[in-house]
Amino acid sequence: MTRIVGGLFLFAFLLSACATPPAPSQAVSTAAEVPEPQAPAAVAPAAVAPAAPEPAKPPAKPTLAKVPTPVAPAAPPREPESAPPEAAKPAGPPPLDLKSLEQQLKETDAIGVLTKLSLKNQVDDLLEQFRNFYAGRLKVNLAELRGPFDMLLMKVLSLLQDKDPVLARSIHSSREALWGILADREKFQKLA
Amino acid sequence: MGIRDAIFGALSLTTALLAMPALAAEDAAQRKDLAAVIALNGQACGEVVSYQEKGKNDFVATCKDGNRYRVFVSAEGRVVVQKQAR
Repeated sequence: MTRIVGGLFLFAFLLSACATPPAPSQAVSTAAEVPEPQAPAAVAPAAVAPAAPEPAKPPAKPTLAKVPTPVAPAAPPREPESAPPEAAKPAGPPPLDLKSLEQQLKETDAIGVLTKLSLKNQVDDLLEQFRNFYAGRLKVNLAELRGPFDMLLMKVLSLLQDKDPVLARSIHSSREALWGILADREKFQKLA
Repeated sequence: MGIRDAIFGALSLTTALLAMPALAAEDAAQRKDLAAVIALNGQACGEVVSYQEKGKNDFVATCKDGNRYRVFVSAEGRVVVQKQAR
């Protein structure tokens, strides 16, 4: 009899153990899918356009929310005519540094392991191109390297935009900062 | 004895039934991952409908359009996508 009761307890325990894990993952995926008002096809422009969902973002990723808060109060004292377009721009997430970007890409669940590895390969290839360029081994000008850089960023954004729109927007807003590092010999050599 | 067998039978069946959605989700995630890797490497696929795991980080993916690709991680740590004969 005690065996039967023990078996029932084990059964109940296993039921509860099996039932609980799916709940958080569903909650996470639905939470990630809620803030997708923009068109999924256009990667780069769509990520900038919507100003309305931006203020709601910071609670989702606390690491990104540190910098932009003091910027918002500065907008109201300006002229009322130019205020709405000006106020829309600083609401975006701050540009990421490379370390933080790398870390967030490693941690995101929006991309599978093989995809992450494949992306890393392509990032390494691009960095090798820049290394060769600065060493004089690659006979192209800097503008010609902008194409592969933009293309790689577009691939990353297209992989992230549906499941991790916050990170996608952060990366998009960091595009020029990232290019600024790659296009500057000294900054690039510090990075490498 | 009969009751115990029934309980353990029910236990195994329930465990298997509860594990099925998790396995299906894992399978879907793996198929998406493979499709993304194939696309990242500039190959035509669209959607991976099935895959076989040949080893650790070594898969043969079958796409909706009938193309088959071997996707594996080389010794140098690179993800390689090789088109297979249909």
